[in-house]
Amino acid sequence: MAVESQYVTADVIEAMELPDLSRRYAVRGVPKIVIHETTEFVGALPEAQYLAQVKAAVETNGKKQ
Amino acid sequence: MALISDKDRETIRSRFDESLTGDVEIIMFTERESPIIIPGKEPCETCAQTQELLDEVASLSDKLTLTVHEISAAKDEAQAHGIDRVPAFVFKGASRGQVRFFGIPSGYEFSALIADLIDVSNGTTDLSEETRKYLSELTEDINIKVFTTPT
Repeated sequence: MAVESQYVTADVIEAMELPDLSRRYAVRGVPKIVIHETTEFVGALPEAQYLAQVKAAVETNGKKQ
Repeated sequence: MALISDKDRETIRSRFDESLTGDVEIIMFTERESPIIIPGKEPCETCAQTQELLDEVASLSDKLTLTVHEISAAKDEAQAHGIDRVPAFVFKGASRGQVRFFGIPSGYEFSALIADLIDVSNGTTDLSEETRKYLSELTEDINIKVFTTPT
């Protein structure tokens, strides 16, 4: 997704090596995805559902501002 | 001993030959081993190995280069990429947004690394048209964090 949009930053984080981040985002299973600090899910999703999560995160963020 | 087996090396090399179109610079931030032990400061356990791994990957295609920065000596550059820990690396190529890796890319992360290098080289992905359309219409920043483990 980051390849397609200048607005997207994608971080791939090695959970065991970075326990402080894993704790902060309460990582108990992998892959765990956190979008925009607000939306999160564990496990691989089909692309359409993944996109729905991204949209939900963008919307949630918009409401907060 | 090489970190990538000869067999994997050949597989990756031919995949790169087929798929890479544009140049990609892998910019890595590391911390050299200090001869002094600083209390309260953990030495970087995977920095050397990460660098070795990236070096091996970069050697598999003429289109790939690896630039290594000592983080303490390249604070501005690190900050520009939003990197505050090591080992970490980013790709500079035809990507519109930014892909960052934190920690050693082993296990599943390694295949993500190879796939991402190809996407960044080409500036395209195999995402659906719907996803690409949505992404092209974004007007605010989004950060996606993916946590993985080596196995």
